[in-house]
Amino acid sequence: MGYTLVICEKPDAARRISDALSGGTSGSGLVEGTLVYRFRRGQEDFVVCSALGHVYGISDPLEERSVYPVFDVEWYSSDLVDEKSAGVARRIAAIRKLAVGASKFVNACDFDVEGETIGYNLLRYACGGRERTALRAKFSTLTREDLLRAFDSLEVQAGQGLARAGRARHAIDFVWGVNLSRALSQSALGSGHRYRTVSVGRVQGPTLGFLERREREIREFVPIPYWKIAGVFKRDGGSIAAAYSKEKVETRSLAEKVRTDCLGKEAVATVVRKRVVQVGPPVPFNIGDLQKEAYRAFGYAPSRTLQIAERLYLGALVSYPRTGSQRLPPSIDYAAIMRGIGKLPEYSSDAAELLRGGLKPVQGPKSDAAHPAIHPTGETPKRALDASESAVFDLVVRRYMAAFGPSARREIADASLVVQGHEFRVGGGRTVFSGWMKYYGRYAGYRDVGLPPVSEGDRFLTAEVTVEEKFEQRPSRYNQSSLLEKMEREEIGTKATRAEIIATLVGRGYVSGESMEVTDLGLAVVETMARYAPSVVGTGLTRDIEGKLESVEVGSGGEAALLRETVRTLADQLAELSLNEESVGREIDSAQMKAVAKSFTLGRCPVCKNGELRVIRSKATRKRFVGCSNYSSGCRASAPLPQSGTIRATVKACERCSWPIIYALGGGRPWRLCVNPNCPGKRKS
Amino acid sequence: MKCPLCGREAASDLCVYHLEAREKVKLAYPLWVKAYGRMEWKDYLDNVKRNVQTGQWAKEIVEFLQGV
Repeated sequence: MGYTLVICEKPDAARRISDALSGGTSGSGLVEGTLVYRFRRGQEDFVVCSALGHVYGISDPLEERSVYPVFDVEWYSSDLVDEKSAGVARRIAAIRKLAVGASKFVNACDFDVEGETIGYNLLRYACGGRERTALRAKFSTLTREDLLRAFDSLEVQAGQGLARAGRARHAIDFVWGVNLSRALSQSALGSGHRYRTVSVGRVQGPTLGFLERREREIREFVPIPYWKIAGVFKRDGGSIAAAYSKEKVETRSLAEKVRTDCLGKEAVATVVRKRVVQVGPPVPFNIGDLQKEAYRAFGYAPSRTLQIAERLYLGALVSYPRTGSQRLPPSIDYAAIMRGIGKLPEYSSDAAELLRGGLKPVQGPKSDAAHPAIHPTGETPKRALDASESAVFDLVVRRYMAAFGPSARREIADASLVVQGHEFRVGGGRTVFSGWMKYYGRYAGYRDVGLPPVSEGDRFLTAEVTVEEKFEQRPSRYNQSSLLEKMEREEIGTKATRAEIIATLVGRGYVSGESMEVTDLGLAVVETMARYAPSVVGTGLTRDIEGKLESVEVGSGGEAALLRETVRTLADQLAELSLNEESVGREIDSAQMKAVAKSFTLGRCPVCKNGELRVIRSKATRKRFVGCSNYSSGCRASAPLPQSGTIRATVKACERCSWPIIYALGGGRPWRLCVNPNCPGKRKS
Repeated sequence: MKCPLCGREAASDLCVYHLEAREKVKLAYPLWVKAYGRMEWKDYLDNVKRNVQTGQWAKEIVEFLQGV
């Protein structure tokens, strides 16, 4: 009789599962350099091992990056696909070795599309085709109770929709990305410059499309003038300020007429409305909501929040974060979690207060069959959390508590003051019962604005009327949070991949910095695609594929037909790109050259005030330094630069000397510095 | 043919981005005239160019139209 081999997704999960099932008595050892846990539970021997995320990846058998189209793809161990995954081969060897002595297999990877795919591939390729007979452990937290429950109700996965959808998604994304990226990169290479990867992924394309459309709106924007009118009204020694009822007055003459009509005249309070409104608690977090809230509260990029949440999950402090659910089912034992939270001093009084009432959480509209909304597990941290982990943990705990809080009440008041037929309005609001806001703390985000001291019929003197010329504001750029929201709304990407796609757009140089400004290269990629392969940057096709992948997940669609359909569509787009290779190459290459030139330009030369300071590499010494583009005209402005690490222009000038500020990365912490060696800010006092 | 303002491929005399920006600049003029009662084309261009809200391509078109 062999043992039960449990396959986990990550080493931390393997350790926690072993601890939970063995009651902390498991032994550990190395197999092919991989840590595995062994223990006996009842009459059964267990061996627990782990993958390192995906240990198999898709690639094409030829691996010749100049060749496209490529439609025949295979799964390979990740070390053959990506040289950074060198440790993967030994891990697969370990699992293969352990599989020989196993009589039963348990897939204990995360229960979602990616986890199912990881487990399926290992059971299929490393365990000799056990993917259909293996048992499934389903859990949403890594707490002992949840894990014991999961292993007491193991079952064979019927249909394996999640794994089939996951494998299909990987295949489609690979075929999509590799072909379009090769088409673009080869076209650019044909224009004579060195090879640089230009990528367009299936979700990346439409996402870049959103950014490009917004960028165009911003850069083409012409402001339209309007006028804003405000008044100050006096009575009995007091005064109130009110805004004209029409927020934007379109002509200067009308604005001036309002001023002339009203100034010095009597105003009468005609309508005073006071009411108390109920403000319900925010719904429990799904991953998108958590990422948006963490961005709003702490400025964390969505990808960072996801990483932090995953660390907290592996520490058994929060539930599985890659969930779309905004619902907390009763099965999670609200009270036990609340008691656990209450053991932490900062939450003890709030948790005790909530426990005294009946615990019934507000539920959101979105659900996820695999996992509940993100919630704390009630366990206390066993190690010191770093600042970002503490921040996200606090946010998750407070959101959980807030979900059980009663509705808050806010008193809202507004009044209308009418003078010579013109209406001015004043309003305010204050919280009269904090309800859930008390538990959500500083994240609640409601401010009190003084209520107007006005009763109907009150008469005022119109003491001041100001007319201010304003201009329409151009649209704001997306930030990482609003872009994530847009992707959710447009139903492209998945909750697990959206943050990564945004990070890729930045990494590829299509979007620069925090402001998410689209670069020339990003514009060129979208423009080229829109001309020759419009489906690639439109949302329709991607959304359609997402819908069909969801059908595969729930067992109502076939992945083979979807793959065939995708290949057909892609082949048409690639043919068009290939026919126009020369002009595609010219446009992409020109944008790339501009991007390279821009990356070497630091800013305007403060000496000649005409040239540009650039990063130059000396032909003699191979050292880099700053020099002026007007050198040939006599400008000798120059400065040394750090010789290691990466230099980035900041487009900012030093306040002390007007020389450019650069951002230097490499080795330790990145730092900003003025390139001028004689900057007064650098002199020792 | 290249766009004289940015060097991208030109759709006619300008690239698609600057063509759209030129259209926007022209469409906004009657709205400025209505807003101020009267305004010469030249003054309009000066004002749009100076305005901090004006987009980069719109600004480049204004300079192009001014013959700078």
